Amino acid sequence: MKISQKQKDAVTFFEIAGEIDFQHSPALRDQLQEAIGKQARGLVVNLKKVSYIDSSGLATFVEALQKVKRYSGRLVLTELAPAVRGVFEIAKLDSIFSLAASEAEALQLLAPSA
Amino acid sequence: MRTTQNFEFTSNPGDFAEFRGKLRALLQQAELDEKKSGEVILAVDEALTNIYRHAYQKQPGKIHLSFQDEEDRVEIWVRDAGKKFNPLTLPAPELPPVKPGGLGIHLIKNLMDRVEYDDGFPDGNRLGLVKYKEKP
Repeated sequence: MKISQKQKDAVTFFEIAGEIDFQHSPALRDQLQEAIGKQARGLVVNLKKVSYIDSSGLATFVEALQKVKRYSGRLVLTELAPAVRGVFEIAKLDSIFSLAASEAEALQLLAPSA
Repeated sequence: MRTTQNFEFTSNPGDFAEFRGKLRALLQQAELDEKKSGEVILAVDEALTNIYRHAYQKQPGKIHLSFQDEEDRVEIWVRDAGKKFNPLTLPAPELPPVKPGGLGIHLIKNLMDRVEYDDGFPDGNRLGLVKYKEKP
């Protein structure tokens, strides 16, 4: 799994590639928690290159979402491959996460009026 | 029965990705479509992670897995020699989850057509996972 990160204005962008499994989700958790520790107003996580996610990956995102909400930040996941989206749906997580089809749509969801 | 393959490995999560690759090849040979294969791979991976976390309490231990390719289904039996842990007795999680964790068993149950825990298995745990090639 590879994680790249960039900052643009108040938004922290992550792009993840590979498999988010029990072995690798702690590294993802560390990077998300670091941004959350700085109270990043918006986090956009691009999952288009993620081919696999397990329950530890889901738990990582649930924890991040909870913490972001505490300071009224926003977390948006973008470009989920069908297999990955399917796993979110089984856990009904598609009902609590903001899911976007593109980074442009994610930025719209992060806009103050959204 | 068409074919059976047996695997034995250590409960090291670092090795599970490699096993997922082997399993994908077997599922392809068994002519499961990509979606069903992905579902089986995730369910088996969750079962292996449970063995690591609960049965062996994050210590190394032996896992035995048998993969049976039957006419109408694939049947996978995973066994360990760790602490007794019947995942099927756990209460269903609240959905969507209000806290991180606790989704592994929910995924296994939803991804597979049949999940069985062998209560009579004497030393450790034996879990069966069945996926039909076509819905019965």
